[in-house]
Amino acid sequence: MLPSIDLRISNIIKALEQVVLPALTGRERLARDQVNLCIGHLRMIAQQWRWAAAFEAGSFQAMIALAEEMQPVVDPGYAEELAQAIASAKAVEGRDLAEVEHAIVALGGLIDRIILGEDGKVALAPAVWEAVLDYGEKQALRERTWFAATGLDPDRQELPSIAGMMAG
Amino acid sequence: MAIDMSEIIDAPPIDRIDIWNRDDMEPRIREILDRTVRDRVKGPYAAKTDSEVIAMLERYFARTEGLEAIGISDVARMAGGASKEQFAFTLRHKGDGVGERLVLRMDPLEAISQTCRGREAQVHVAFAGILPVASVRSVDADGEIMGQPAIILGFVNGVTEPSEGTGHGVSGIGTRYDDWAAKLAPQFIDALAQVHRFDWRSADLSYYAAPEAGTRQAAIWQVNWWSQVWWDGVVQPVAMVTYAERWLREHAPICDAPVMCHSDLRLGNFMFEEPSGKFTAVLDWELAHIGDFHEDIAWAIQRLFGTWTDDGTFLVCGLIARDEFLRAYEAASGNRIDPVKLRYYEVLNAYKCAVIDLGQAMRAATQSNNHQDIILTWLGSAGAVFLEQLVMLIREA
Repeated sequence: MLPSIDLRISNIIKALEQVVLPALTGRERLARDQVNLCIGHLRMIAQQWRWAAAFEAGSFQAMIALAEEMQPVVDPGYAEELAQAIASAKAVEGRDLAEVEHAIVALGGLIDRIILGEDGKVALAPAVWEAVLDYGEKQALRERTWFAATGLDPDRQELPSIAGMMAG
Repeated sequence: MAIDMSEIIDAPPIDRIDIWNRDDMEPRIREILDRTVRDRVKGPYAAKTDSEVIAMLERYFARTEGLEAIGISDVARMAGGASKEQFAFTLRHKGDGVGERLVLRMDPLEAISQTCRGREAQVHVAFAGILPVASVRSVDADGEIMGQPAIILGFVNGVTEPSEGTGHGVSGIGTRYDDWAAKLAPQFIDALAQVHRFDWRSADLSYYAAPEAGTRQAAIWQVNWWSQVWWDGVVQPVAMVTYAERWLREHAPICDAPVMCHSDLRLGNFMFEEPSGKFTAVLDWELAHIGDFHEDIAWAIQRLFGTWTDDGTFLVCGLIARDEFLRAYEAASGNRIDPVKLRYYEVLNAYKCAVIDLGQAMRAATQSNNHQDIILTWLGSAGAVFLEQLVMLIREA
């Protein structure tokens, strides 16, 4: 691929930093703020793009694993629907990002319904609570790592690199 | 620790509050949230230009005050504004050739938090003379004249972070106050105490409603508010957010004595003058409501709003060590902090932030309904920080 995605991102950042920003007067505050955010987003995208499909597929696999952990202990009223949803999720082609995102919405929506338990009418087994917390902890770590470049995470020094996370 | 939910479901009722009644919330909040969904399809929204702002203001002052020969000048967009479009401007007219410096604070079609300018105006007026707050010049609560809900405030001089310092960030996050902290911390704590001591019963707060004392309604109103924001706008399911909602409903504490809560009193939301450090304004009252004082304390001590000293000490809002802050607040307010309630509201606030970042911000940006969609996606990238907080806080609760 010529020019490469990395080169094009780098070129855009250079143009924004060296041409667009200096052309804006101090009065153009909104424009300056937004150009700086554009640069920040582009730097982050440069770190992420090659891993994007694998990252989302990993999120999806983690969600399927959560559903499978829930399956033996959910209320019988949900058991069949959850089993079907897991089967459908496993049939999704993992390389198609849009398809994966769509499948996350479908399976995640059912998991949400089970957690809410018809607005508290259906009890959740302690094992489900633990499974959701474990999943939440792992997924939060992945997403914090993915977006660490924003600099907003107070504990970002403890996070691995994106490449390190994806390799692990 | 594992929670056996069947024990909670079978537990006798603590009070008459139905923790799953999603309709139980402040009426004005309900109106704002319903309006958000109704208006969402009107987008996309573009940032207003100076000339558009001038035309809007000229029409507004002519219609609302009958001013003649109106001149709007020196229009300057103000910094920050992840939520509202804000412009400083000077108003001159036939009866005032000198001019008045004012601030227009106006809703975009959809913001990171959807709130009421009428409530904001009322709470500004209520706190005039108690805390430094901007004066209210005019309010168009539903945008009937301006075209968009708006409040016009008196201009206040000051800065939200030191002009020269080592840390600056989006919406004040990450600001380091360093040597300024000794001057600012006492005023910050006093402001919190003053807000909580305020006699809201004797003020004109007709846009507000108060939860019933001695019940869980204060907490449930907040859960209902933010869970409706989530379900009205959810872009992608997040199991931890749903989990937290159920936990918050089933662990809601009783609020013995509801107080006025600012709900966003943190670094970046007060202005001070340099070099004295004297507060000139407490800002951003848009989330204010009557509720449990623990909510404000839990908000202030969030890790995202704090900084660390070089030796690793966490400073609440970049100002003061956590234990010292809690002691100083108790002394200033006369309130006694209940650690269980404080932890509950830490969970609630992490939930609220997750809903704002991963729910409302993502929905507004997806619809292209904000003047700064790019800030919304930037802040949304911090959503997982709150998911991690939810896991940690609930495990420790």
